[in-house]
Amino acid sequence: MLSNAQLQKIYLLSDTVLYPEAVSFMRKLVQDQECDPLPASQVAGLLSIAEVTRYDELHRFVLHQRDRNWPPSKRDIKTFYTAIEDVLSVMQRKRLKDEFHMMPDIQERSVIEARQELDELMARLAREFIQHLVAENGVLAALKAEERMKQRMNRR
Amino acid sequence: MNPEMKIIREVNIQAENFYNAAVKLGDHAAYTLKAQHRSQMTNLENIAESAFKATDILDYIKKQTARFTYWRQPFPEDKDANTGFGERLKDYLENQLQTTLVNICGPKRLDIGNTTDEDKQERRRIYLLLIRQFIRQMVVEYEYQVSLGNASPGGKKREA
Repeated sequence: MLSNAQLQKIYLLSDTVLYPEAVSFMRKLVQDQECDPLPASQVAGLLSIAEVTRYDELHRFVLHQRDRNWPPSKRDIKTFYTAIEDVLSVMQRKRLKDEFHMMPDIQERSVIEARQELDELMARLAREFIQHLVAENGVLAALKAEERMKQRMNRR
Repeated sequence: MNPEMKIIREVNIQAENFYNAAVKLGDHAAYTLKAQHRSQMTNLENIAESAFKATDILDYIKKQTARFTYWRQPFPEDKDANTGFGERLKDYLENQLQTTLVNICGPKRLDIGNTTDEDKQERRRIYLLLIRQFIRQMVVEYEYQVSLGNASPGGKKREA
């Protein structure tokens, strides 16, 4: 179980680092790369996995979604999962230690305990990132739907 | 004065300064949500009071904005008549209140740095206090306007 100090640090990272990164992550995909926002079914699936499972299971889910053979009409979903897998992998391999300074201390505990803690930390960080990302995705999806509606009205 | 008292005093001073902005957003909320969607305001206030993070509040505003058209409805009286209620509220909290936070944490006021984790946590806590104060004021104005039946621009009673 994570300590109060670790949770406080995660809240700080969530507010100051993960939120702005999740916003630019979604805007880059939807506005710059002109991908469609993630559909509601994918949002629900990703959120529920992020909220209840361990990090290794979440990561497996992301890899599975990335590697699925999506039809051309759903290629944007593959793009999304490819991008999020990159973010999570860099976070686990590099940022957790070098930037966030949250790597569990191996000397004070067994390897198994340290691994468990690492999994918990990554699960919390990933959850925060995904929650921010899903909120931004919703706004972008609503904007896109309104734009489409206006275009349809103008055509009439 | 002890540090905590100083913080409370600064937040209260800022609450006076942003009162007009909170009133304008409360009027906007009354216009778009009307009495019919009062729970939207009470839920927002509850989330603001109980949140551990400012981004929980911003995410909530985004979710409601995405979900309900009335959160996206602009206010004809506003100088930016194209921006919906949710977007306006989120912008104010994200930009104006962040500027306020930077100002009051400066060396001439609370003198809270921005390099150590302790300082950053303190800034985060003050930011939450500012957001809560702003939302409280906005909700009071919303309640006042809907109780008078003034849910149209200019505070005039809405015609049936």
